[in-house]
Amino acid sequence: MSSPPLSRTLWIAFFVAPALALMAIFMLAPALAAFSYALYDWKAFSRGDFVGFKHFIRLAEPPYRGMFLAALGHNAITFLVKLTIQNGIALLIAYALYQRPIGARFFRGTLFLPVILSLVIVGYLWQLFLHPLFGPITLFMMDIVGLEQFAPLGDSRFALATTILMSIWRNVGFPTIVFLAGMNAIPDEIIKAARIDGANDWQIFRRIILPNLGPAFTIIVILTFIGAFEWFDLPFVIGGATGNPANSLDTMALMFFRLSFGDTSSPVTDVGLGGAVSVVLFAIVLAGSKFGADYLRKREVKA
Amino acid sequence: MITRALKAHTPFSMLLMGLLILNTVVVLAPLGVAVISAFKTTGEIMASPFALPSAWAFDNFVKVWSAGRFDRYILNSIIVTLGAEIIILVTSAMAGYALGRFKFRFHGAIYTLILMGLMVPAKLLLVPLFIQLKAMGLLNSQFGLILVYAAGGIPAGVFIMTGFFRALPDALEGAARIDGAGEWTIFSRIMLPLVRPQLAIVAIYTAIPIWNDFLFPMVFLSSPELKTIPQGLSVFFGEHAVDMGALFAGLTLAALPLVLVYLLLSEQFIKGLTAGAVKG
Amino acid sequence: MKIRNLLSAAGIAAMALSAGQAFAQSVELSFWSWRVEDKAFYDDIAKDYAAKTGVKVTFTPYKNTEYPTVLSAALAGGGGPDIIHARAYGALATLADAGYFLPLTKENVPNIVNFSDQLLAGAKGRTPPHNANIYGVPFATQALGIYYNKSVLKSAGIETLPKTWDEFKALCKTLKDKNIACLSNGSNDVPGLEQMFGVIGPNFYGGTAFFNDVIAGKKKFTDPAFVQAIAETAAMKDFLPRNHQGVGENEARTLFANGLAAFYMSGTWNIDTIRTLNAKADFGIMAAPPLKADGAAYVSNFADGNYAVNAKTKHAKAAADFVNYLASKEYGRRFTDTLKQSSAITGVAPSEPLLVALGEQASKNGTPFLMLVGFRYQNPNGSVMLRDGIQKIIQGGTTPEALAQEIQTGIATWHKFQ
Repeated sequence: MSSPPLSRTLWIAFFVAPALALMAIFMLAPALAAFSYALYDWKAFSRGDFVGFKHFIRLAEPPYRGMFLAALGHNAITFLVKLTIQNGIALLIAYALYQRPIGARFFRGTLFLPVILSLVIVGYLWQLFLHPLFGPITLFMMDIVGLEQFAPLGDSRFALATTILMSIWRNVGFPTIVFLAGMNAIPDEIIKAARIDGANDWQIFRRIILPNLGPAFTIIVILTFIGAFEWFDLPFVIGGATGNPANSLDTMALMFFRLSFGDTSSPVTDVGLGGAVSVVLFAIVLAGSKFGADYLRKREVKA
Repeated sequence: MITRALKAHTPFSMLLMGLLILNTVVVLAPLGVAVISAFKTTGEIMASPFALPSAWAFDNFVKVWSAGRFDRYILNSIIVTLGAEIIILVTSAMAGYALGRFKFRFHGAIYTLILMGLMVPAKLLLVPLFIQLKAMGLLNSQFGLILVYAAGGIPAGVFIMTGFFRALPDALEGAARIDGAGEWTIFSRIMLPLVRPQLAIVAIYTAIPIWNDFLFPMVFLSSPELKTIPQGLSVFFGEHAVDMGALFAGLTLAALPLVLVYLLLSEQFIKGLTAGAVKG
Repeated sequence: MKIRNLLSAAGIAAMALSAGQAFAQSVELSFWSWRVEDKAFYDDIAKDYAAKTGVKVTFTPYKNTEYPTVLSAALAGGGGPDIIHARAYGALATLADAGYFLPLTKENVPNIVNFSDQLLAGAKGRTPPHNANIYGVPFATQALGIYYNKSVLKSAGIETLPKTWDEFKALCKTLKDKNIACLSNGSNDVPGLEQMFGVIGPNFYGGTAFFNDVIAGKKKFTDPAFVQAIAETAAMKDFLPRNHQGVGENEARTLFANGLAAFYMSGTWNIDTIRTLNAKADFGIMAAPPLKADGAAYVSNFADGNYAVNAKTKHAKAAADFVNYLASKEYGRRFTDTLKQSSAITGVAPSEPLLVALGEQASKNGTPFLMLVGFRYQNPNGSVMLRDGIQKIIQGGTTPEALAQEIQTGIATWHKFQ
């Protein structure tokens, strides 16, 4: 069977068009629109007058300045904790798996299991475990360990840390696999040669394996950054649109959502201000990943 | 096979083994306790939170199934995910083929556009997408949601497929061309079968986030009968506030479909989901 | 060309979907709500209404934290249910001002005469022309008070209820020393914290006089009396149950109903829920004790919410008829008898003794539930600032003075003070 002889250009257009059209309509057009939203006044979801940078100025003044800076701070803390602890654990586990121990496939399979779970499921799971009256962990901490109080998700001092821990529990399999792939890509001959030269395990890890993980680190750091600064799902499931308790789980994305769609007691929406938050958020993510990637790539070469 | 390993049974290797076992326990224990708790009453959970249930009764599951409409939620999740996947796979295979196998005007520009698509944070498009879907009459419609998800998955799909098509040897295509095969035949009969495993990677990479998403369905689909699993679960949690056994059963049911598939295809899942971050 | 094909395909699919819904049967009305607890009641009402009129009503409750988002997104999208269970005052007005609701008049809802002007004030828009119209049929009036569990008090050897606020606090102290939680309220339930303020606050800021003064802009929220009202509310943290940081409304009700706390500050809508949680619970409800034994004991009250009709409904007549039924005395009787809440319909007296008791208090010293009635009209929203702020004081993030200042600054951005 042969198709009618159409010119090559038309064929290429035919191949590329559906993907481009869908992207243009449902991604690029709304993305461009999103940038303009911050420049207008809004009544619910109908656009009003052009107001220039008014909403950015509102964002920089009380009462929204404090709210925004607190949210940004929570994003930054999340990034730093996940960068060090999540990726530290991942590196260790990856190294353990790299030794090809007995049951490596099983360990890898279980490790990755939470990564496929919906964050709604993960959030509710831990919420049930930490339920203030009936939660198994709560009961354990109070009855067995003997704590007077144990409600980490309700306590503004611990809520963010606890939620980050949940996120680490769910996500740690991902960087592990990436690091493991990076380690596996190191030619065995190099390791073998070093061993013959009398290098011990620590020296091999420090001098050969770590430097060769440069590209994996770059990717993981960037993904951790993007994930932390766009963090939304878990704080929303745990603390709702306001980041309860006491806004301690508020993030930039949550603030954007709350302003755009309202929250429990105030259906008053503020699409313009929400738009301003989203523009700032996007700028931070873009600049951060760009500079971060450039800096890390430079280091990769040096290493 | 070379063992890059540490010599067996050194204290250090035992330590690493211990780490792996500990990690496995940390991952599996909560899931296991959740499933066990699904068979208990709230009273039993309170009395002995980590013990096995006194009887393996399916009461909670029956309650959840009749009250929660989980059959509907699961069906809706399948419709939306499958619909988006069909579009993603067809369009990114086609575009990836063109970008990977041909040189043409705008090649660079289109490829850059695709890469930019990878950078767009989907959540921030919530409001414009909402307004746009409304204008197109696609709000509160599974089809509208499918198109949004498809557009979100296409950049990654095209990116991954372009790389694979580019790596294919020229010989096969050349032979087919000499035989006078048309462009569509070359694409569908010769090239496509060669990248079937890679299509599976694209499918997993893009499908899991769609299956798990709750934000878009919450905002774009308002009819209760269109809810997908994550949102359905959230409604269910609202209705059964302190019935711990039923809540654990709902959680187990909601997680079950994907976990079952994962148990069968864990290697493909791991490969698929890390496809963007792990090269070749 | 490709784009157009895609769009037309999208259009056809969308038409097919909506056509399937529109021409399904005779008349079906959808009815959304946040009252998960009342589903059985509304299902019964729908069944009887269908038997009488042939009109089928489907009641769908949403999780209360998600309801506003789902509803405002659906309405903004030109969809949503035919009948909307809406809140009152500011929360209703913002939706009404956006044109989402059908104005209700004596013509389309004759039974609207069954409501007092005072209650209908909670069903109006805020900006012209919407402030002249009525957009909902009120369903209940609620009052805030202190539930007390008689068996818990008896077993603690307490025979008489406290007569003054100081006595109440002393009693809490006594209970605490006996290892009994005084209050079941949780600090994770932020709306609940505002309700605690509604119970405690008015006696300190001076009830309706203060309300009228801030509405008129004659007094500010930085008024020392208001600061003290906040401080007294937050001071309750010493008497909250174990793990109160994690306790929300569901947990608080469960604790109280099962005798794990002596008191519960909340509203009249919880009478029925507490009985459902524990049929044997023996409890009463009282106003917060006054500062002096002969002083006024204010009871915060408010129109809870309204049944509204979607302006975009395809069945305006049928929807208005159904809402008219929900405005009838017959319905009001059934509402108050079944759900144990005060019907908003004039002349439908509650049969529930607890409602009667608190209602008598309210008729003497009722006062508008401050933020809900007066300051939810715009952002920053008075209720949100107050409740989040009290939570922050309890958790050690701010002070009553700073919170009062924040509220004053925030509300002054849209409300005129002299």
